[in-house]
Amino acid sequence: MISISNLHKKFGKNEVLKGINIQVDKGDVISILGPSGSGKTTLLRCLNYLERPDEGIITIDNVTIDSKKVHKKDIYHLRKKSAMVFQSYNLFQHKTVLQNVMEGLVVVQKVNVKEAREIALEMLKKVGLEQKVDAYPLQLSGGQQQRVGIARALALNPEVILFDEPTSALDPELVGEVLDVIRKISREGITMIIVTHEMNFAREVSNRVIFMDGGVVVEEGVPNDIFRTPKEDRTKQFLKRMTPELEYSI
Amino acid sequence: MGKVFDPSLIIEFIPTLVKYLGVTLEILVASIILGTIIGIAAAIPKLFHIPILKQIVTLYISFIRGTPIIIQLFLVFYGLPAVLSLINIDITRMDALIFVIITYSLSNGAIFAEIFRGAISAVEFGQTEAAYSIGMTPFQNFTRIIFPQAIRVAFPNIANTVIGSLKDTSLAFTIGVMDMMGRGETIIAATAHALEVYIALSVIYYVVVLILEKGFKVFEKYTNRYQGTDASVA
Repeated sequence: MISISNLHKKFGKNEVLKGINIQVDKGDVISILGPSGSGKTTLLRCLNYLERPDEGIITIDNVTIDSKKVHKKDIYHLRKKSAMVFQSYNLFQHKTVLQNVMEGLVVVQKVNVKEAREIALEMLKKVGLEQKVDAYPLQLSGGQQQRVGIARALALNPEVILFDEPTSALDPELVGEVLDVIRKISREGITMIIVTHEMNFAREVSNRVIFMDGGVVVEEGVPNDIFRTPKEDRTKQFLKRMTPELEYSI
Repeated sequence: MGKVFDPSLIIEFIPTLVKYLGVTLEILVASIILGTIIGIAAAIPKLFHIPILKQIVTLYISFIRGTPIIIQLFLVFYGLPAVLSLINIDITRMDALIFVIITYSLSNGAIFAEIFRGAISAVEFGQTEAAYSIGMTPFQNFTRIIFPQAIRVAFPNIANTVIGSLKDTSLAFTIGVMDMMGRGETIIAATAHALEVYIALSVIYYVVVLILEKGFKVFEKYTNRYQGTDASVA
C-alpha cells in the first residue's frame, strides 16, 4: 500500500537519506528506530512532502510521486493520503481544540460543518478530550495537546498516520497518556509509521520494526527478532545503549 | 505677543476647530488604508526574499525611518511635481491634501511593511507544516492559519502607528491644508490668542486618541483570547 523506493535526500553536502526502500502493508504499525541523525524524521517528512526528496519514488495508495518530476497537484494528492503527528504538536493556536480537529475536514475535504463537528467530537472522545473541546491549545498540557494532534490526524481518516517522535517533547509523566492513545488506535487497523525513541513501546505496539542508521535501513523485522536477536552490529549497539535491561538477550 | 489669557475662549474655539476634525480623520483613514496596501506589497519581497525588489524595499523603508516626516512632506510636495513635469504632467494645481495623503501613505507603508513582516515571521513555522500536512494550499494556510495569528502580534504596533499618524497629520497645515491645525493657525492669526487655540487643539487630539485607544484595547483583548490564562501578564 505504501512503497518507498530508492529515496535520497541531501541537506547541502550532508546526505541524510542514502537510498531507502520500504514496503508497508495496510494495517501495518511500523516503528522506525535509530540514533539521532540517522534520517528517520527526514524519511517521515519526505512521505508527507514536507521535505522534497532529491531522488526516489513514493507511492501511497493510488498516488505515486517520482521526485524527478513532481507536480504541485501530486503533492496535494499525496498529502491527503497521510496525516502527520508532530513532535512539537503544531496545533493551530488561534483555534479551539474542536476547530483544530475540524479544520482539515472543512477546508480540505469540504465536509459540511455539522458533519465535521460530529467527526471531530468522536475523535476527541477517542483521545479522551471530550471535556476540552472549547479550550485553546495553550490552555492544555503537552500531553493533551499531542492528543489533539492525534485526533486532528485521525479525523482526516488518512491511509496512514505518520508519527514524528510524538512523545519526545513531553514531560516524562505525560508520555504515558499519549502512548496509551496511540496504543489504542493501533488496534483499530489504522496503518501507522512511528518514529520513536520509546523502545518498549515500539516493541509492544508495532508489528514491524525498522532500524535506521547513517541514512540507510540497517535491519528490519518483527519486533521480537529485532529486539531479541538483532543480526547487525549497529542494531545491537544501539539497542544496548537504549535498553540496558535487555542486555541479557542480545 | 499674545493677548491676555482667556480660558473661556478655549471652550469657544473647540466647536470651530472640531468642524475640521473631518479633514484630519480623512488624512488618517486614507493614509492608513493606502499604507496598509503599500505595507503588504513592501513586505512580500522581504518575506519571500525576492532579489532586487527586496533591496529596493529595504532602501525605501530605511529612508522613511531615517528622515523626519515634515521633510518627507516637503520632498513630496515640491519633488513630485518636479519629477512629473519631466514627463509633461502638471500637478502644481493639485489639492495639497493629496500630497499629504501620498506622504503619509508612504510613511505608514514603510512602517507597516516592517510590522507585517515581523508578525508573519513570528507565527511558528510548525503550524504552516501542520497546515500543509493536512493538505492545505499555501493560500489557505496564509488566510486561515498565519494571518489571524499575525494580526495578534502586529496589532499593538499597528495601533501605535495609527495614533502616531493621527498626531503627525498636524503637520499638514505646513503645505497649506486646512485641517484642524490649519484652522487653528488662522484663528491665531485673526485673534492672537495662541495659547487658547493650542489648548483647545490638544484637548481635541487627546480625546480622539483616548477614544482610539479604548477601541484598540477591546480589539486587542479579542486577538489575545487564545493566549492561555496568563495573557494579561504577557
